[in-house]
Amino acid sequence: MSDVVSEATLRLERLIPSPPELLFALWTEPAQLVRWWAPEGYEASVDDLDTRPGGRWRVTMRRTDGGVVVTSGIYRIVEPPRRLVFTWAWEDESGARGHETEVVVSFEAAPGGTRVVLLQRRFESKQARDNHTVGWSSAFDRLTKIVG
Amino acid sequence: MAAALTPRLDGLFGALADPTRRAIIEQLLAAGELSVGDVAAPFAISAQAISRHLQVLERAGLIERRIERQWRFVRVRADALEPVESWITRHRRHWTAALDRLEALAAAQTPRRRKS
Repeated sequence: MSDVVSEATLRLERLIPSPPELLFALWTEPAQLVRWWAPEGYEASVDDLDTRPGGRWRVTMRRTDGGVVVTSGIYRIVEPPRRLVFTWAWEDESGARGHETEVVVSFEAAPGGTRVVLLQRRFESKQARDNHTVGWSSAFDRLTKIVG
Repeated sequence: MAAALTPRLDGLFGALADPTRRAIIEQLLAAGELSVGDVAAPFAISAQAISRHLQVLERAGLIERRIERQWRFVRVRADALEPVESWITRHRRHWTAALDRLEALAAAQTPRRRKS
């Protein structure tokens, strides 16, 4: 897990007073997912949601004035009710996918509910990741310091 | 929503995925500005290979070149990481709002589920 954290470009954590099983269902059942996925003013619909590893997911969000935003990806790891790993990208109007990233959501039972941790990191091939895990982060940190 | 930033972001992540190019960036961060010859000195690879790496870094917007008489100098661009920072800011906002909605929906369903 520490590798995942050190590689992360984005990390959010919060304690939610609900059981892991419920939260996992909100992420993986289409009827539940559409109720929270889209921002205010958008209506979400699930085009695909196949929670087998390798299965596709795709959610379309329609604004009342006609604007459309699509997010999609592939499930990589599905461990109910503890962990969900999937690729994630925006799609433009032509269906072309933007910068591809990986999202890891974990649900850990904690006193008073569930600790939910969401990591989103840049996506690269497994080979590239194995070769370059060490070093990228420190280069990135130094770059951030110098330009920040 | 995301399309405008994507080509530069892909180029930037791609450029930094290579260990030699990361080492070049580290070197430039430590030194500030170096001649192309000085950049190449620590590496046991051809000048041509170094030149190709510098091209990738320049195309990705990570470094810039300056020519003074017969010398060519390179340095890290001040705004090199701006696309990555915008990406992080935008996605942090997106997921924070999404988790707020998730939490509200979970709260609405929790008492019922616990009784059953």
